[in-house]
Amino acid sequence: MRLINSSMFKVDHSHVLASIVGHAITSPDKVALVEGSVRVTYAQLVANIECAASYLQSMGLKHGDRIVLSAQKEPGFVYLYLAAHLIGVVNVVVDSTLPADRLDYIMGVIQPAAVFGNHLKLEGKTVIPIDDINFECQSVKQLQLLSLHDSDVADVMFTTGTTGRPKGVCLTHANIAGSANNTNGFIGTMADDVEALALPLSHSFGLGRLRCVLMAGATLVLVGSFANLKTFFAIIENEQVTGFGMVPAVWQYIKRLSGNRIAKFADQIRYIEIGSASMSLEDKRLLMELFPDTRICMHYGLTEASRAMFTEFHEAVGHLDAIGRPASPLVEACVLDEDGHPVSAGEDGEICIRGNMVISSYFLDEDNKDCFHDGWFRTGDWGHQDSDGLFYLTGRKKELINVGGEKVSPITIEEAILSFGIADCACIGVPDPNGVLGEVPKAFLVSGSGVAQVPTIDEIKRHLASRLPSHEIPVEWEWVNSIPRTSSGKIQRLKLKK
Amino acid sequence: METQVKQIIAQVLNVELDKITDDLSAGDIPEWDSVGNLAIISTIEQELELEFPLEDLFDLTSVKSIIDEVNQLKHV
Repeated sequence: MRLINSSMFKVDHSHVLASIVGHAITSPDKVALVEGSVRVTYAQLVANIECAASYLQSMGLKHGDRIVLSAQKEPGFVYLYLAAHLIGVVNVVVDSTLPADRLDYIMGVIQPAAVFGNHLKLEGKTVIPIDDINFECQSVKQLQLLSLHDSDVADVMFTTGTTGRPKGVCLTHANIAGSANNTNGFIGTMADDVEALALPLSHSFGLGRLRCVLMAGATLVLVGSFANLKTFFAIIENEQVTGFGMVPAVWQYIKRLSGNRIAKFADQIRYIEIGSASMSLEDKRLLMELFPDTRICMHYGLTEASRAMFTEFHEAVGHLDAIGRPASPLVEACVLDEDGHPVSAGEDGEICIRGNMVISSYFLDEDNKDCFHDGWFRTGDWGHQDSDGLFYLTGRKKELINVGGEKVSPITIEEAILSFGIADCACIGVPDPNGVLGEVPKAFLVSGSGVAQVPTIDEIKRHLASRLPSHEIPVEWEWVNSIPRTSSGKIQRLKLKK
Repeated sequence: METQVKQIIAQVLNVELDKITDDLSAGDIPEWDSVGNLAIISTIEQELELEFPLEDLFDLTSVKSIIDEVNQLKHV
């Protein structure tokens, strides 16, 4: 086995890497990653990250350059992702199934120096398959490491914007390490834990779990998705999994397809992290019943302020409807009114966050407008704080639709529908009639006068299938005479919800 | 019936029909995620006018297992 190069110790800018290198020194043979039959120890992980960093530098990539990485549950993805951090290259992790126009937008904004992915399709741009890269090189050219800082941007994550176009969220090395430390501190993930990661890595939640587990020196089992529960349960059993993360829609899926089968693992599961959408009290109580000795931790946060608050179900009896308290002493939350003044306990206002994991800016300056107030990040979520300091959500100022944890802009759907020749339309989120996804999109359509032939809903759906991911296609449809709008022409979506 | 089930799966997942082989399983392709899996189940139930028993859903993990289950429910 190749020894770790001394350059790997120059990782002061990245507490994530510093932790991983520390584990490679103290527990070199401990398994860090599992994917199918592949097992990677911490020593191998560090050596392969170094090899990947050398490969990136051999391509001419340098500090500040950006690369697009297609999210894949493969060790190669982990090596490249962390190698970029090592040499100061910025990662832009994307979902390989993103619609072409969204991917094109991201590419145009980011202007990446290179693109990596096994399943990514991009017209006019070379995509380097991750599978083609040799991460187990026997010798590594000395890495050229500049003086990097924890305030340097590590990742740009694209999140759904209220304007309909994605917003690039600039996460520094300090942000991502801060979030992982806060999360591990609350949940209690330890080196002897084994976590099954089936969440998508293109989302803040999934990528955050990867960093949490590796920072803790635990073992991460990469699982494609939750789609095949038989496989997921077999992995829990065979790998002696002690923790996993899921969104509330996945819990609905597990319940619907497997009943209470998962409870047979209750004795071995030490923690479950839940997030990205609200969960019914009924589901929270059921989880507590099925997992009486498990820390069931639910976070509240945004990509911009990851894991800002936490609540643990068993400790929150009587307050299960709260989103919790700030995740650590390094995180603060408050409720401000429209003018930016603090409101009294119990009074609704905008939930604002500041702390070690909160971003300082978006990638595009125009996206920073109205997002910060006196050092506080404005979440766009409405809620209040009770006299005991617990926070509660009461609504969303931003009009995003939360489909099973995927945030969907109504404007994106509306633009796609309007492109089919519909006179006017508006979309809102409504409860999923199947009770699985939380919310699903509903479209209100205006056919318009003088239209020769009004398309059918099926025709519109077929048109949308080529433009939108399936979860963004409305589930409910309604023809109306007009869309309620303000005098300035803005759609009044709240009126449609009534 | 086999072709019809495969066509439904291809249509729901928005992939080419030739990708839907007997041994293809949930999670094998990015399109067949948990949301896609639920959509497959509900679309087959709706279009083929049948109802999968709840206790069988856990085992419907591959194209072949879905075809076998449909054949059994339809007494083909």
